[in-house]
Amino acid sequence: MSCKNQSFLGSLGAILFGIVLASCDSAPTESADVSEPNASSQSGSEEQIILAIGGESEEGYDPTLGWGRYGSPLFQSTLLKRDADLNIVNDLATDYSVSEDGLTWTVTIREDAVFSDGEPLTATDVAYTFNQAADSGGLTDVTVLAEAIAIDDTTVELRLSQPQSTFVNRLITLGIVPEHAHGPDYARTPIGSGPYQLVQWDEGQQLIVDANPNYYGTAPGIERLVFLFVEEDAAFAAVKAGEAQVASVPQSLAVQAVEGMTLYDVDSVDNRGLMFPYVPASAGETTPNGDPIGDDVTADLAIRQAVNYAIDRQALVEGVLEGYGSVAYGPVSGLAWEEPSAAIEDAQPETAQEILAAGGWTDGDGDGVLEKDSLTAEFTLLYPANDSTRQALALSVAEMLKPIGIQANVAGKSWDEIKPAMHSNVVLFGWGSHDQTEMYNLYHSQAAQGDFYNAGYYANQAIDKTLDLAMGASSEAEAIAFWQAAQWDGEMGFTAKGDAAWAWLVNLDHTYFVNDCLNIGQPQVEPHGHGWPITANIAKWEWTCN
Amino acid sequence: MTTSTLIASPSQGNPGNRRQRTFWGIALCILLLLAIILSPWIMGDAGLNPLLPQRNQSPSLAHFFGTDWLGRDMLSRSLHGMSLSLRIGLLAATMSALIGTGLGLAAGTLGGWIDAVITWIIDVFFSLPHLVLLILIAFAAGGGTTGVIIAVAFTHWTSLARVIRAETLQVNSSDYVKLSQRFGRSPLWIAYYHMVPHIIPQLFVGLILLFPHAILHEAALSFIGIGLSPHIPAIGIILAESMRHLSTGYWWLGVMPGLLLLLSVKAFDWLGENVRALLDPKTSQG
Amino acid sequence: MPILTFTAQKFLRLGLLLLAVAIFTFVLLSLSPIDPVQAYIGADMMQISPEQQQLIAERWGLDQPMVVRFWDWLGQLLQGNLGTSIVYNQPVVEVIATRFWLSLQMLAIAWLLSGILGLGLGILAGALAGSWIDRIIRLYAYTLASSPTFWVALLLLITFSVSLKVTPICCAAPPGVLTADVTIWQHLHHLLLPSITLSIIGIANITLHTRQKLIDVLHSDYILFAHAQGETLWGVIRYHGFRNLILPALTLQFASLSELFGGSVLVEQVFAYPGLGEATVQAALRSDIPLLVGIVFFSALFVYSGNTLADLAYPIVDPRIRIGGH
Repeated sequence: MSCKNQSFLGSLGAILFGIVLASCDSAPTESADVSEPNASSQSGSEEQIILAIGGESEEGYDPTLGWGRYGSPLFQSTLLKRDADLNIVNDLATDYSVSEDGLTWTVTIREDAVFSDGEPLTATDVAYTFNQAADSGGLTDVTVLAEAIAIDDTTVELRLSQPQSTFVNRLITLGIVPEHAHGPDYARTPIGSGPYQLVQWDEGQQLIVDANPNYYGTAPGIERLVFLFVEEDAAFAAVKAGEAQVASVPQSLAVQAVEGMTLYDVDSVDNRGLMFPYVPASAGETTPNGDPIGDDVTADLAIRQAVNYAIDRQALVEGVLEGYGSVAYGPVSGLAWEEPSAAIEDAQPETAQEILAAGGWTDGDGDGVLEKDSLTAEFTLLYPANDSTRQALALSVAEMLKPIGIQANVAGKSWDEIKPAMHSNVVLFGWGSHDQTEMYNLYHSQAAQGDFYNAGYYANQAIDKTLDLAMGASSEAEAIAFWQAAQWDGEMGFTAKGDAAWAWLVNLDHTYFVNDCLNIGQPQVEPHGHGWPITANIAKWEWTCN
Repeated sequence: MTTSTLIASPSQGNPGNRRQRTFWGIALCILLLLAIILSPWIMGDAGLNPLLPQRNQSPSLAHFFGTDWLGRDMLSRSLHGMSLSLRIGLLAATMSALIGTGLGLAAGTLGGWIDAVITWIIDVFFSLPHLVLLILIAFAAGGGTTGVIIAVAFTHWTSLARVIRAETLQVNSSDYVKLSQRFGRSPLWIAYYHMVPHIIPQLFVGLILLFPHAILHEAALSFIGIGLSPHIPAIGIILAESMRHLSTGYWWLGVMPGLLLLLSVKAFDWLGENVRALLDPKTSQG
Repeated sequence: MPILTFTAQKFLRLGLLLLAVAIFTFVLLSLSPIDPVQAYIGADMMQISPEQQQLIAERWGLDQPMVVRFWDWLGQLLQGNLGTSIVYNQPVVEVIATRFWLSLQMLAIAWLLSGILGLGLGILAGALAGSWIDRIIRLYAYTLASSPTFWVALLLLITFSVSLKVTPICCAAPPGVLTADVTIWQHLHHLLLPSITLSIIGIANITLHTRQKLIDVLHSDYILFAHAQGETLWGVIRYHGFRNLILPALTLQFASLSELFGGSVLVEQVFAYPGLGEATVQAALRSDIPLLVGIVFFSALFVYSGNTLADLAYPIVDPRIRIGGH
């Protein structure tokens, strides 16, 4: 008999034997072990709640590499934060000031903050974090930072290479990491000064966190949080079976009633829209990775505008989002810097047809799809295959474009497949941030670097200039006028009336089922997914039943 | 994932009736399967498009299988998917017939190292769990519908080749073949005049029995979803999608297409049983 | 020394088989749009600089012709270097070890269940051939044989987990329990439904086979003789039929390991059970070639073990058959 077989037979025997052994082993403690976790997993308690809200960060939990770039990093704390009404309030910082020229930010931090390993958090750690984030070039964009210097234990100076009106958002989103414990493994074993600390992470399955006893803020009301990483439908099933106390569900499932659960319909700036390749493919350009750029059909303004006018956004909100959402005409719908006049009268197939006709598109061969010279009004519309809402939006939009003679070929792919194709195909993207930097990165020609930002290689010098003015303004208030002008200033802009670089569709509401026994306070207007926006006020959550 | 290749012992009864019943059974099965294959062309694509106001309707006269979360008609989607499965099954059967017969005949007649190599290839195919092999090939072929088709088409010939090789060896050692050889007939002549007539019935039954495997494997692969767009109407995708509605009470999304799949597989089982009964001399008399 | 010859023979065959699988896999992946050697770098790519990338490319001999690359690749495999899984951020060997441990428990339970139930139902149906019990068992077996595994899994999940709430919805352990604190009962609770579903695959085949075999045995002359001597039906089955039944059943059971493994891929997918089957799907969906290749090798080993076990089981059940003797 071969040794392979021996080991196989052996292991087979070992299990059976092991089962017997283990059951003997656990017999004395069995009653305690079995009943306690079962009870808690069924109903939740002050000790533990289970959240099925997705948001696993595959890259790990290192803020300098991009974790928490939409805020509330949970393990770490930030200098500033936004309250439920999106006002900026202090967190680690006790005060901050900006110099006249907007180049130097001086922040003083609290003295009582300690990391979960017991070491105090000093200005050195803050400086280290900012310098590190600037160097690593991760998704948290701090490239404008020249250097960060700790003046003393509680004062840090952030020196910028040029003024940036959005820099305050870096203070809101960048979680502070400990210099003494930050290394390559940090992303998997994060240590921070946030309300919770990591206990166990089974990648792809669950993440267990416990309240951080050293947290300087109000002690969290729930001792242990378990983040369950399951698909959205399994999350719903978990809620229905009473296994999870908080679950985010797609809007199509939000109409269901679940006993003992309340539906939280949380406003968000999380949007969905069609990104058009802006340049013609015939130009033959490629990204630094060698992926093709551009599409001949969507490079035509008439096509992009016609799509914008033909779509019935309200029908999408009603039909796909079950009413849990709102129409969107731009990337910052519902925020203070939205330009109201950029909105268009949509669901107008006639207008769309006029635009197309004026643009030279006709149906010469009578097949229902328009042509112009050798081009056919046809493009591929990509959506991420695992996102049912985007699938529904993509299919519905394709259906709405048929009557005006535009053929959208819908294809669902994984992100790995979409990435190389996203500069030369229409993609159903989702964005949405409290930070205007995102709008800048979506439309500025310099942001097009072969990645997610400005994937369509939109380029308009005048818009670039306006965006630069907004970014370089010394304060957010001053910048708003420029942000709005970039959207539509009466003559030009990147929205539908102007260059129509995108066809924005809807803003989603985030829909959560929350156990009736759990008080989650007033959720803030949430940004685009990634991470756990609902946990922004986690320290205030309470279990009210006993 | 298995379909038993065991066939029930022929039922007792009036022999004349039985033969007639067998014919009727075959006709009915073929008609049903043909109807499913052709249904997309008869019904058109209308039901595949989203019709948002009509979403999540339970089965009714207007929609026998109900509608899904986008208001698509589930009967249309299921039939489109099943038709695709059957067509892939058909392709798999054709490929298997070609490869299996070719290699089986070659191994059986030529013998020697050719036989050894072919037997070895078959052994390698059998040494991997079929589903793992399918996933590997579908992946290597770049996924998507093409990947699924290639994987299903090129992995079902092995058992057929084995059967035909065994059959060929048996015929080869029979007296009349030896006699032909002594008369100086070429191996090709012998293969054509002596082997083929013997092998055709075996091939026929083998092919029909291969269908359920191919269909179930196509469903399994599309269920896993290797590179397939989730809105394509393939039976596995439809069933995978019904998973997300497990707990919503929209039972028809999973149950109805599943039953259609079950019915199609059973139709092939019946067909195989009846054809075998017809071809088998022991039961075809009377 | 028949045992030694037998062992040597088995080893040789295994070696040849794995070599064949290696060639097959390499050729297949070379023909595919994805280059296998490049994919091996994939996992490290994110953390390394372009210069390091160049070095690795040279080490793997990316510029070499295919045959040379194959031998390099094979050399790495022989040294046990299966690479690093991109999906799980762990060496492939570790992923397979931990995942297979979970799958093995499910497979073992399913295997035993299907064997015992299948044999039992087959004997019952065979002994009562023609009765309504026989008809029901046959109908059940035929229907199961034509049902897609994952669909059956879905139906069971809807019934027992969602509606009746007696079994968990997913995973190998209750959420929120630290790995160290998971009790054997919780574990078995999570294993229950997947194992039962998986066992269903095997039952139909073995039931129908045992039934047919028993009918044949019962019609043989020596059984008729025993019957005539006053043995009861069950006595006949117990003393004469059983040994004739167990051997083919055992062969079938060991041969079914291949199908069982395939079935576990689908079942684990439905129950979100973190075993090797789920890893197979993840590897294929997310282009994790090192893991996929590792699993292909491992599954070949697994199937081979099953077949060898069947060979070994013969002499235990029936002393007339000797190892190595043909």
